Amino acid sequence: MRTDLFVMALVAILLSIVLGQLGFFDAARLMKGLRNMGTLTLEMLPPDASVLPVAGKALWETVQMSFAGTMLGFLVSLPLSILGTRHLFSAPLSNLSRLIAAGIRTVPVLLWAILFVILVGLGPLAGTFGIAAYTVGYLAKIYADLFEGTDPEVMEAVQSTGASRFHLVRFVVFPEGANAILTQLLFMLEYNIRASSILGFVGAGGIGFVMQVYLQTLEYRRLATVLLLILLVVLMMDGVGAWLRKRFLLTAH
Amino acid sequence: MTEMDNTDIALRAEGICFAYRDKEWVLRDISLSIPRGKATMIMGPSGSGKTTLMKVLAGILDPQRGRVEVLNHEIGKRTRRSLYSLIGYIPQQLGLVRNLTSLENVLMGALGRCGHGRVMLGLFPHHEIEQAQAALDLMGISDKSSEKVFRLSGGQRQRVAIARTLLQRPRVVLADEFVSDLDLDLASEILRLMRQVAEREQMTFIANMHEPQLVREFADQVLLLDHGELVRGLPRHGLQGQPSAEVFQ
Repeated sequence: MRTDLFVMALVAILLSIVLGQLGFFDAARLMKGLRNMGTLTLEMLPPDASVLPVAGKALWETVQMSFAGTMLGFLVSLPLSILGTRHLFSAPLSNLSRLIAAGIRTVPVLLWAILFVILVGLGPLAGTFGIAAYTVGYLAKIYADLFEGTDPEVMEAVQSTGASRFHLVRFVVFPEGANAILTQLLFMLEYNIRASSILGFVGAGGIGFVMQVYLQTLEYRRLATVLLLILLVVLMMDGVGAWLRKRFLLTAH
Repeated sequence: MTEMDNTDIALRAEGICFAYRDKEWVLRDISLSIPRGKATMIMGPSGSGKTTLMKVLAGILDPQRGRVEVLNHEIGKRTRRSLYSLIGYIPQQLGLVRNLTSLENVLMGALGRCGHGRVMLGLFPHHEIEQAQAALDLMGISDKSSEKVFRLSGGQRQRVAIARTLLQRPRVVLADEFVSDLDLDLASEILRLMRQVAEREQMTFIANMHEPQLVREFADQVLLLDHGELVRGLPRHGLQGQPSAEVFQ
Protein backbone atom coordinates (compact mmCIF):
# COMPACT_ATOMS: atom_id res chain seq x y z
CA MET A 1 0.00 0.00 0.00
CA ARG A 2 2.76 2.41 0.97
CA THR A 3 4.71 1.40 -2.12
CA ASP A 4 1.67 2.17 -4.31
CA LEU A 5 1.33 5.64 -2.77
CA PHE A 6 5.04 6.23 -3.22
CA VAL A 7 4.88 5.24 -6.90
CA MET A 8 1.81 7.43 -7.50
CA ALA A 9 3.51 10.40 -5.80
CA LEU A 10 6.64 9.85 -7.87
CA VAL A 11 4.63 9.78 -11.11
CA ALA A 12 2.77 12.95 -10.10
CA ILE A 13 6.04 14.77 -9.35
CA LEU A 14 7.58 13.60 -12.62
CA LEU A 15 4.51 14.72 -14.57
CA SER A 16 4.59 18.17 -12.91
CA ILE A 17 8.26 18.64 -13.79
CA VAL A 18 7.72 17.60 -17.42
CA LEU A 19 4.60 19.79 -17.78
CA GLY A 20 6.55 22.71 -16.29
CA GLN A 21 9.37 22.25 -18.76
CA LEU A 22 6.85 22.14 -21.63
CA GLY A 23 5.40 25.52 -20.56
CA PHE A 24 2.16 24.17 -19.09
CA PHE A 25 2.30 26.47 -16.07
CA ASP A 26 2.86 29.65 -18.12
CA ALA A 27 -0.56 31.16 -17.32
CA ALA A 28 -0.13 34.23 -19.52
CA ARG A 29 0.65 32.09 -22.53
CA LEU A 30 -2.25 29.74 -21.88
CA MET A 31 -4.67 32.68 -21.54
CA LYS A 32 -3.43 34.07 -24.83
CA GLY A 33 -3.98 30.64 -26.38
CA LEU A 34 -7.56 30.58 -25.10
CA ARG A 35 -8.27 34.04 -26.54
CA ASN A 36 -6.76 32.98 -29.88
CA MET A 37 -8.93 29.88 -29.88
CA GLY A 38 -11.99 32.06 -29.46
CA THR A 39 -10.88 34.32 -32.32
CA LEU A 40 -10.12 31.35 -34.57
CA THR A 41 -13.48 29.74 -33.85
CA LEU A 42 -15.27 32.97 -34.71
CA GLU A 43 -13.30 33.30 -37.93
CA MET A 44 -14.31 29.76 -38.89
CA LEU A 45 -18.01 30.54 -38.62
CA PRO A 46 -20.10 30.15 -40.61
CA PRO A 47 -18.42 27.49 -42.75
CA ASP A 48 -18.12 28.49 -46.40
CA ALA A 49 -20.16 26.00 -48.40
CA SER A 50 -18.96 27.33 -51.75
CA VAL A 51 -15.85 25.13 -51.52
CA LEU A 52 -17.91 21.96 -51.22
CA PRO A 53 -17.28 20.77 -54.82
CA VAL A 54 -13.49 21.26 -54.56
CA ALA A 55 -13.23 19.88 -51.02
CA GLY A 56 -15.62 17.01 -51.82
CA LYS A 57 -13.51 15.95 -54.80
CA ALA A 58 -10.30 16.11 -52.77
CA LEU A 59 -11.90 14.20 -49.91
CA TRP A 60 -13.11 11.52 -52.29
CA GLU A 61 -9.49 11.17 -53.44
CA THR A 62 -8.44 10.77 -49.79
CA VAL A 63 -11.07 8.05 -49.26
CA GLN A 64 -9.88 6.27 -52.43
CA MET A 65 -6.27 6.46 -51.28
CA SER A 66 -7.13 5.16 -47.82
CA PHE A 67 -9.24 2.31 -49.15
CA ALA A 68 -6.75 1.22 -51.83
CA GLY A 69 -3.74 1.68 -49.53
CA THR A 70 -5.37 -0.22 -46.66
CA MET A 71 -6.41 -3.12 -48.89
CA LEU A 72 -3.00 -3.35 -50.59
CA GLY A 73 -1.29 -3.25 -47.21
CA PHE A 74 -3.71 -5.87 -45.89
CA LEU A 75 -2.96 -8.23 -48.79
CA VAL A 76 0.79 -7.94 -48.25
CA SER A 77 0.52 -8.18 -44.46
CA LEU A 78 -1.30 -11.53 -44.55
CA PRO A 79 1.54 -13.63 -46.02
CA LEU A 80 4.10 -11.66 -44.03
CA SER A 81 2.25 -12.33 -40.78
CA ILE A 82 1.82 -16.02 -41.62
CA LEU A 83 5.60 -16.26 -42.14
CA GLY A 84 6.02 -14.48 -38.82
CA THR A 85 3.93 -17.07 -36.97
CA ARG A 86 6.47 -19.03 -34.99
CA HIS A 87 4.62 -22.33 -34.65
CA LEU A 88 4.03 -22.56 -38.39
CA PHE A 89 7.46 -21.61 -39.70
CA SER A 90 11.03 -22.00 -38.51
CA ALA A 91 12.51 -19.43 -36.13
CA PRO A 92 14.90 -17.79 -38.66
CA LEU A 93 12.09 -17.28 -41.18
CA SER A 94 9.56 -15.96 -38.68
CA ASN A 95 12.16 -13.70 -37.04
CA LEU A 96 13.13 -12.29 -40.45
CA SER A 97 9.50 -11.62 -41.29
CA ARG A 98 8.94 -9.90 -37.94
CA LEU A 99 12.10 -7.84 -38.43
CA ILE A 100 10.86 -6.64 -41.83
CA ALA A 101 7.49 -5.67 -40.32
CA ALA A 102 9.24 -3.85 -37.45
CA GLY A 103 11.47 -2.01 -39.92
CA ILE A 104 8.46 -0.86 -41.96
CA ARG A 105 6.65 0.18 -38.79
CA THR A 106 9.55 2.33 -37.61
CA VAL A 107 8.97 4.82 -40.45
CA PRO A 108 6.00 7.16 -39.82
CA VAL A 109 3.30 7.33 -42.48
CA LEU A 110 4.20 10.94 -43.40
CA LEU A 111 7.79 9.92 -44.10
CA TRP A 112 6.58 7.02 -46.24
CA ALA A 113 4.49 9.49 -48.23
CA ILE A 114 7.50 11.79 -48.79
CA LEU A 115 9.57 8.79 -49.86
CA PHE A 116 6.95 7.71 -52.40
CA VAL A 117 6.53 11.29 -53.67
CA ILE A 118 10.25 11.12 -54.48
CA LEU A 119 9.83 7.68 -56.08
CA VAL A 120 6.60 8.03 -58.09
CA GLY A 121 6.04 11.77 -58.12
CA LEU A 122 3.36 14.05 -56.63
CA GLY A 123 -0.24 12.91 -56.31
CA PRO A 124 -2.49 10.25 -54.80
CA LEU A 125 -0.42 7.29 -56.03
CA ALA A 126 2.37 8.28 -53.65
CA GLY A 127 -0.17 8.60 -50.84
CA THR A 128 -1.64 5.19 -51.62
CA PHE A 129 1.77 3.53 -51.45
CA GLY A 130 2.59 5.41 -48.26
CA ILE A 131 -0.58 4.21 -46.58
CA ALA A 132 -0.05 0.66 -47.86
CA ALA A 133 3.49 0.57 -46.44
CA TYR A 134 2.41 1.79 -43.03
CA THR A 135 -0.51 -0.67 -43.02
CA VAL A 136 1.82 -3.60 -43.79
CA GLY A 137 4.06 -2.76 -40.82
CA TYR A 138 1.17 -2.45 -38.43
CA LEU A 139 -1.08 -5.32 -39.55
CA ALA A 140 1.78 -7.82 -40.08
CA LYS A 141 2.72 -7.45 -36.42
CA ILE A 142 -0.84 -7.56 -35.07
CA TYR A 143 -1.80 -10.54 -37.25
CA ALA A 144 1.37 -12.55 -36.51
CA ASP A 145 0.67 -12.19 -32.78
CA LEU A 146 -2.98 -13.09 -33.39
CA PHE A 147 -2.16 -16.18 -35.47
CA GLU A 148 0.30 -17.40 -32.87
CA GLY A 149 -2.56 -17.43 -30.39
CA THR A 150 -4.61 -19.91 -32.47
CA ASP A 151 -5.90 -22.69 -30.21
CA PRO A 152 -3.15 -25.37 -30.38
CA GLU A 153 -5.72 -28.10 -29.79
CA VAL A 154 -7.54 -27.22 -33.01
CA MET A 155 -4.22 -27.11 -34.88
CA GLU A 156 -3.26 -30.53 -33.50
CA ALA A 157 -6.63 -32.07 -34.33
CA VAL A 158 -6.67 -30.82 -37.93
CA GLN A 159 -2.98 -31.63 -38.41
CA SER A 160 -3.81 -35.22 -37.43
CA THR A 161 -6.02 -35.50 -40.50
CA GLY A 162 -2.92 -35.09 -42.66
CA ALA A 163 -3.39 -31.36 -43.24
CA SER A 164 -0.35 -29.44 -44.47
CA ARG A 165 0.85 -26.09 -43.15
CA PHE A 166 -1.01 -24.32 -45.95
CA HIS A 167 -4.19 -26.26 -45.19
CA LEU A 168 -3.84 -25.20 -41.55
CA VAL A 169 -3.51 -21.55 -42.55
CA ARG A 170 -6.50 -21.73 -44.85
CA PHE A 171 -8.83 -23.82 -42.71
CA VAL A 172 -7.78 -23.15 -39.11
CA VAL A 173 -5.69 -20.00 -38.70
CA PHE A 174 -7.78 -17.70 -40.93
CA PRO A 175 -11.26 -18.87 -39.85
CA GLU A 176 -10.32 -18.93 -36.16
CA GLY A 177 -8.85 -15.43 -36.44
CA ALA A 178 -11.59 -14.05 -38.72
CA ASN A 179 -13.12 -11.79 -36.07
CA ALA A 180 -9.88 -10.14 -35.11
CA ILE A 181 -8.70 -9.94 -38.73
CA LEU A 182 -11.81 -7.98 -39.68
CA THR A 183 -11.80 -5.81 -36.56
CA GLN A 184 -8.17 -4.80 -37.07
CA LEU A 185 -8.72 -4.19 -40.78
CA LEU A 186 -11.65 -1.86 -40.08
CA PHE A 187 -9.68 -0.08 -37.40
CA MET A 188 -6.81 0.36 -39.86
CA LEU A 189 -9.16 1.75 -42.53
CA GLU A 190 -10.66 4.26 -40.10
CA TYR A 191 -7.19 5.23 -38.88
CA ASN A 192 -5.88 5.61 -42.44
CA ILE A 193 -8.75 7.93 -43.45
CA ARG A 194 -7.82 10.20 -40.56
CA ALA A 195 -4.08 9.87 -41.16
CA SER A 196 -4.24 10.31 -44.93
CA SER A 197 -6.00 13.65 -44.65
CA ILE A 198 -2.61 15.08 -43.77
CA LEU A 199 -0.66 13.43 -46.61
CA GLY A 200 -1.57 16.22 -49.02
CA PHE A 201 0.71 18.48 -46.94
CA VAL A 202 3.68 16.71 -48.52
CA GLY A 203 2.17 16.52 -51.99
CA ALA A 204 0.87 12.97 -51.70
CA GLY A 205 -2.67 13.83 -52.81
CA GLY A 206 -6.05 14.14 -51.14
CA ILE A 207 -7.77 16.66 -48.90
CA GLY A 208 -4.52 17.60 -47.13
CA PHE A 209 -3.44 19.81 -50.00
CA VAL A 210 -6.70 21.77 -49.88
CA MET A 211 -6.41 22.10 -46.10
CA GLN A 212 -2.88 23.40 -46.43
CA VAL A 213 -3.90 26.04 -48.96
CA TYR A 214 -6.79 27.29 -46.77
CA LEU A 215 -4.50 27.36 -43.71
CA GLN A 216 -1.79 29.34 -45.49
CA THR A 217 -4.23 31.81 -47.04
CA LEU A 218 -6.01 32.16 -43.67
CA GLU A 219 -9.37 31.10 -45.19
CA TYR A 220 -10.66 29.60 -41.97
CA ARG A 221 -14.33 29.49 -43.03
CA ARG A 222 -13.35 27.26 -45.93
CA LEU A 223 -11.12 25.19 -43.63
CA ALA A 224 -14.15 24.68 -41.36
CA THR A 225 -16.08 23.16 -44.27
CA VAL A 226 -13.21 20.77 -44.96
CA LEU A 227 -13.02 19.70 -41.30
CA LEU A 228 -16.78 19.13 -41.18
CA LEU A 229 -16.55 17.01 -44.32
CA ILE A 230 -13.78 14.88 -42.78
CA LEU A 231 -15.88 14.48 -39.63
CA LEU A 232 -18.79 13.33 -41.78
CA VAL A 233 -16.66 10.71 -43.57
CA VAL A 234 -15.20 9.44 -40.29
CA LEU A 235 -18.70 9.11 -38.81
CA MET A 236 -19.85 7.27 -41.92
CA MET A 237 -16.87 4.92 -41.65
CA ASP A 238 -17.76 4.23 -38.01
CA GLY A 239 -21.27 3.35 -39.16
CA VAL A 240 -20.08 1.09 -41.97
CA GLY A 241 -17.59 -0.57 -39.59
CA ALA A 242 -20.30 -1.22 -37.00
CA TRP A 243 -22.55 -2.71 -39.68
CA LEU A 244 -19.79 -4.96 -41.03
CA ARG A 245 -18.91 -6.19 -37.55
CA LYS A 246 -22.54 -6.96 -36.82
CA ARG A 247 -22.95 -8.69 -40.17
CA PHE A 248 -19.84 -10.85 -40.19
CA LEU A 249 -18.53 -11.31 -36.69
CA LEU A 250 -18.95 -14.52 -34.82
CA THR A 251 -21.70 -14.26 -32.24
CA ALA A 252 -23.66 -17.01 -30.60
CA HIS A 253 -27.01 -15.29 -31.14
CA MET B 1 1.46 -62.90 -19.64
CA THR B 2 0.32 -63.64 -23.15
CA GLU B 3 2.57 -62.57 -26.01
CA MET B 4 0.40 -61.21 -28.82
CA ASP B 5 1.09 -61.83 -32.44
CA ASN B 6 2.40 -58.71 -34.23
CA THR B 7 -0.52 -58.76 -36.61
CA ASP B 8 -3.00 -58.55 -33.72
CA ILE B 9 -1.43 -55.41 -32.34
CA ALA B 10 -2.63 -52.03 -33.54
CA LEU B 11 -0.43 -49.85 -31.37
CA ARG B 12 2.69 -50.65 -29.46
CA ALA B 13 4.68 -48.38 -27.14
CA GLU B 14 8.02 -49.33 -25.66
CA GLY B 15 9.73 -47.68 -22.71
CA ILE B 16 8.08 -44.28 -23.15
CA CYS B 17 9.48 -41.53 -20.91
CA PHE B 18 8.33 -37.96 -21.32
CA ALA B 19 8.97 -34.67 -19.53
CA TYR B 20 7.96 -31.11 -20.42
CA ARG B 21 11.00 -28.82 -20.76
CA ASP B 22 13.35 -31.21 -18.95
CA LYS B 23 11.40 -31.05 -15.72
CA GLU B 24 10.05 -34.00 -13.80
CA TRP B 25 9.04 -37.08 -15.80
CA VAL B 26 5.34 -36.99 -16.65
CA LEU B 27 5.45 -40.47 -18.18
CA ARG B 28 7.81 -43.08 -16.78
CA ASP B 29 8.83 -46.12 -18.75
CA ILE B 30 5.45 -46.92 -20.26
CA SER B 31 5.18 -50.02 -22.42
CA LEU B 32 1.88 -51.22 -23.79
CA SER B 33 0.31 -53.09 -26.65
CA ILE B 34 -3.19 -52.30 -27.85
CA PRO B 35 -4.97 -55.11 -29.68
CA ARG B 36 -6.52 -54.46 -33.07
CA GLY B 37 -10.19 -53.59 -33.40
CA LYS B 38 -10.81 -53.30 -29.65
CA ALA B 39 -11.87 -50.39 -27.47
CA THR B 40 -9.20 -49.60 -24.89
CA MET B 41 -9.80 -47.01 -22.21
CA ILE B 42 -7.18 -45.33 -20.09
CA MET B 43 -8.20 -44.30 -16.59
CA GLY B 44 -6.32 -42.44 -13.93
CA PRO B 45 -6.57 -39.55 -11.49
CA SER B 46 -6.11 -35.93 -12.63
CA GLY B 47 -2.48 -35.18 -13.34
CA SER B 48 -1.60 -38.84 -13.85
CA GLY B 49 -0.39 -38.10 -17.38
CA LYS B 50 -3.35 -39.38 -19.43
CA THR B 51 -3.46 -36.46 -21.87
CA THR B 52 0.32 -36.49 -22.28
CA LEU B 53 0.26 -40.22 -22.97
CA MET B 54 -2.48 -39.70 -25.56
CA LYS B 55 -0.43 -36.98 -27.29
CA VAL B 56 2.68 -39.15 -27.33
CA LEU B 57 0.71 -42.07 -28.78
CA ALA B 58 -0.77 -39.73 -31.41
CA GLY B 59 2.71 -38.46 -32.33
CA ILE B 60 1.94 -34.89 -31.27
CA LEU B 61 4.66 -35.03 -28.62
CA ASP B 62 7.95 -36.84 -29.13
CA PRO B 63 9.01 -38.79 -26.05
CA GLN B 64 12.55 -38.28 -24.73
CA ARG B 65 12.92 -42.06 -24.51
CA GLY B 66 11.11 -44.97 -26.07
CA ARG B 67 9.13 -45.43 -29.26
CA VAL B 68 5.57 -45.74 -30.51
CA GLU B 69 4.51 -47.90 -33.44
CA VAL B 70 1.14 -48.02 -35.14
CA LEU B 71 0.69 -51.06 -37.35
CA ASN B 72 4.46 -51.36 -37.56
CA HIS B 73 5.01 -47.71 -38.55
CA GLU B 74 6.98 -45.60 -36.12
CA ILE B 75 5.02 -42.56 -34.96
CA GLY B 76 6.59 -39.20 -34.20
CA LYS B 77 6.22 -35.50 -34.88
CA ARG B 78 8.03 -35.83 -38.20
CA THR B 79 6.14 -38.82 -39.54
CA ARG B 80 2.74 -37.94 -38.11
CA ARG B 81 1.36 -36.01 -41.04
CA SER B 82 2.09 -38.75 -43.55
CA LEU B 83 0.42 -41.33 -41.28
CA TYR B 84 -3.01 -39.74 -41.25
CA SER B 85 -4.51 -42.91 -42.68
CA LEU B 86 -3.24 -44.83 -39.65
CA ILE B 87 -3.94 -42.54 -36.73
CA GLY B 88 -6.73 -40.10 -35.90
CA TYR B 89 -6.93 -37.85 -32.86
CA ILE B 90 -9.87 -36.22 -31.07
CA PRO B 91 -8.68 -33.80 -28.36
CA GLN B 92 -10.58 -33.03 -25.15
CA GLN B 93 -12.18 -29.87 -26.55
CA LEU B 94 -12.67 -31.68 -29.90
CA GLY B 95 -10.46 -29.36 -31.97
CA LEU B 96 -13.26 -28.13 -34.20
CA VAL B 97 -12.91 -24.87 -36.10
CA ARG B 98 -15.68 -22.79 -34.54
CA ASN B 99 -16.12 -20.39 -37.43
CA LEU B 100 -16.58 -23.14 -40.05
CA THR B 101 -19.78 -25.09 -40.67
CA SER B 102 -20.33 -28.69 -39.54
CA LEU B 103 -19.82 -29.92 -43.10
CA GLU B 104 -16.60 -27.95 -43.52
CA ASN B 105 -15.32 -29.34 -40.23
CA VAL B 106 -16.09 -32.89 -41.33
CA LEU B 107 -14.29 -32.21 -44.62
CA MET B 108 -11.14 -31.44 -42.62
CA GLY B 109 -10.95 -35.23 -42.29
CA ALA B 110 -10.24 -35.45 -46.04
CA LEU B 111 -7.38 -32.90 -46.12
CA GLY B 112 -4.69 -35.59 -46.03
CA ARG B 113 -6.01 -36.95 -49.33
CA CYS B 114 -6.54 -33.56 -50.98
CA GLY B 115 -3.87 -31.44 -52.57
CA HIS B 116 -3.55 -27.68 -52.54
CA GLY B 117 -5.38 -26.75 -55.75
CA ARG B 118 -9.13 -26.24 -55.64
CA VAL B 119 -9.29 -27.27 -52.00
CA MET B 120 -7.50 -24.06 -50.99
CA LEU B 121 -10.45 -22.21 -52.51
CA GLY B 122 -12.75 -24.31 -50.35
CA LEU B 123 -13.76 -26.53 -53.28
CA PHE B 124 -13.55 -30.14 -52.14
CA PRO B 125 -13.96 -33.11 -54.54
CA HIS B 126 -17.57 -34.07 -55.02
CA HIS B 127 -17.18 -37.59 -53.63
CA GLU B 128 -15.60 -36.24 -50.43
CA ILE B 129 -18.53 -33.87 -49.93
CA GLU B 130 -20.95 -36.76 -50.43
CA GLN B 131 -19.09 -38.88 -47.92
CA ALA B 132 -18.97 -36.00 -45.45
CA GLN B 133 -22.74 -35.55 -45.83
CA ALA B 134 -23.21 -39.29 -45.32
CA ALA B 135 -21.06 -39.17 -42.16
CA LEU B 136 -23.19 -36.33 -40.76
CA ASP B 137 -26.27 -38.31 -41.70
CA LEU B 138 -24.96 -41.34 -39.85
CA MET B 139 -24.42 -39.13 -36.81
CA GLY B 140 -28.01 -37.92 -37.09
CA ILE B 141 -27.15 -34.27 -37.68
CA SER B 142 -27.43 -33.91 -41.45
CA ASP B 143 -29.82 -30.99 -40.87
CA LYS B 144 -26.98 -29.10 -39.18
CA SER B 145 -24.51 -29.43 -42.04
CA SER B 146 -24.50 -25.74 -42.94
CA GLU B 147 -24.66 -24.55 -39.34
CA LYS B 148 -21.48 -23.00 -37.94
CA VAL B 149 -19.99 -25.11 -35.18
CA PHE B 150 -20.15 -22.39 -32.53
CA ARG B 151 -23.94 -22.51 -32.81
CA LEU B 152 -24.14 -26.27 -32.09
CA SER B 153 -24.87 -27.90 -28.73
CA GLY B 154 -22.25 -29.96 -26.90
CA GLY B 155 -23.57 -33.32 -28.13
CA GLN B 156 -23.85 -32.10 -31.71
CA ARG B 157 -20.22 -30.96 -31.65
CA GLN B 158 -19.13 -34.42 -30.48
CA ARG B 159 -20.98 -35.91 -33.44
CA VAL B 160 -19.23 -33.52 -35.84
CA ALA B 161 -15.85 -34.55 -34.38
CA ILE B 162 -16.70 -38.24 -34.84
CA ALA B 163 -17.92 -37.60 -38.40
CA ARG B 164 -14.59 -35.86 -39.14
CA THR B 165 -12.74 -38.94 -37.89
CA LEU B 166 -15.06 -41.15 -39.92
CA LEU B 167 -14.15 -39.25 -43.10
CA GLN B 168 -10.45 -39.48 -42.25
CA ARG B 169 -10.82 -43.29 -41.94
CA PRO B 170 -7.76 -43.92 -39.74
CA ARG B 171 -7.04 -47.42 -38.43
CA VAL B 172 -6.54 -46.21 -34.87
CA VAL B 173 -8.53 -43.43 -33.18
CA LEU B 174 -7.18 -41.75 -30.07
CA ALA B 175 -9.69 -39.66 -28.09
CA ASP B 176 -8.77 -37.59 -25.05
CA GLU B 177 -11.73 -37.43 -22.61
CA PHE B 178 -13.82 -36.17 -25.47
CA VAL B 179 -17.17 -36.78 -23.74
CA SER B 180 -16.18 -35.40 -20.34
CA ASP B 181 -18.24 -32.21 -20.81
CA LEU B 182 -21.48 -34.13 -21.45
CA ASP B 183 -23.97 -35.57 -19.00
CA LEU B 184 -23.83 -39.32 -18.52
CA ASP B 185 -26.73 -40.25 -20.80
CA LEU B 186 -25.48 -38.15 -23.68
CA ALA B 187 -21.89 -39.30 -23.17
CA SER B 188 -23.12 -42.91 -23.29
CA GLU B 189 -25.03 -42.22 -26.50
CA ILE B 190 -21.98 -40.61 -28.13
CA LEU B 191 -19.72 -43.48 -27.08
CA ARG B 192 -22.22 -45.99 -28.48
CA LEU B 193 -22.07 -44.14 -31.80
CA MET B 194 -18.29 -44.05 -31.70
CA ARG B 195 -18.17 -47.75 -30.98
CA GLN B 196 -20.53 -48.54 -33.83
CA VAL B 197 -18.38 -46.50 -36.19
CA ALA B 198 -15.21 -48.17 -34.93
CA GLU B 199 -16.69 -51.65 -35.36
CA ARG B 200 -18.06 -50.85 -38.78
CA GLU B 201 -14.77 -49.43 -40.02
CA GLN B 202 -12.68 -51.94 -38.04
CA MET B 203 -10.97 -49.12 -36.21
CA THR B 204 -9.08 -49.54 -32.97
CA PHE B 205 -10.42 -47.08 -30.42
CA ILE B 206 -8.32 -45.75 -27.55
CA ALA B 207 -9.76 -43.18 -25.17
CA ASN B 208 -9.02 -41.46 -21.89
CA MET B 209 -12.03 -41.71 -19.65
CA HIS B 210 -12.70 -40.83 -16.05
CA GLU B 211 -16.28 -42.09 -15.69
CA PRO B 212 -16.17 -45.74 -14.47
CA GLN B 213 -19.73 -46.44 -15.62
CA LEU B 214 -18.86 -45.54 -19.22
CA VAL B 215 -15.67 -47.55 -19.05
CA ARG B 216 -17.60 -50.61 -17.81
CA GLU B 217 -20.12 -50.17 -20.59
CA PHE B 218 -17.82 -49.58 -23.54
CA ALA B 219 -14.25 -50.73 -22.87
CA ASP B 220 -12.91 -54.09 -23.99
CA GLN B 221 -9.95 -53.43 -21.78
CA VAL B 222 -8.75 -50.80 -19.37
CA LEU B 223 -5.35 -49.34 -18.61
CA LEU B 224 -4.77 -47.60 -15.31
CA LEU B 225 -2.29 -44.75 -15.14
CA ASP B 226 -0.99 -43.25 -11.92
CA HIS B 227 1.82 -40.70 -11.53
CA GLY B 228 2.91 -41.34 -15.09
CA GLU B 229 3.20 -45.09 -14.63
CA LEU B 230 0.99 -47.83 -15.96
CA VAL B 231 -0.18 -49.69 -12.90
CA ARG B 232 -2.44 -52.42 -14.21
CA GLY B 233 -4.20 -53.57 -17.28
CA LEU B 234 -7.73 -54.84 -16.90
CA PRO B 235 -10.33 -56.30 -19.19
CA ARG B 236 -13.70 -54.56 -19.04
CA HIS B 237 -14.92 -56.82 -16.24
CA GLY B 238 -11.68 -56.24 -14.37
CA LEU B 239 -13.32 -53.18 -12.90
CA GLN B 240 -15.34 -55.66 -10.93
CA GLY B 241 -12.18 -57.40 -9.80
CA GLN B 242 -10.76 -59.54 -12.57
CA PRO B 243 -7.31 -58.20 -13.31
CA SER B 244 -5.56 -59.16 -16.46
CA ALA B 245 -2.05 -58.46 -17.67
CA GLU B 246 -2.98 -59.05 -21.26
CA VAL B 247 -2.12 -55.57 -22.44
CA PHE B 248 1.33 -55.51 -20.88
CA GLN B 249 4.31 -56.78 -22.71
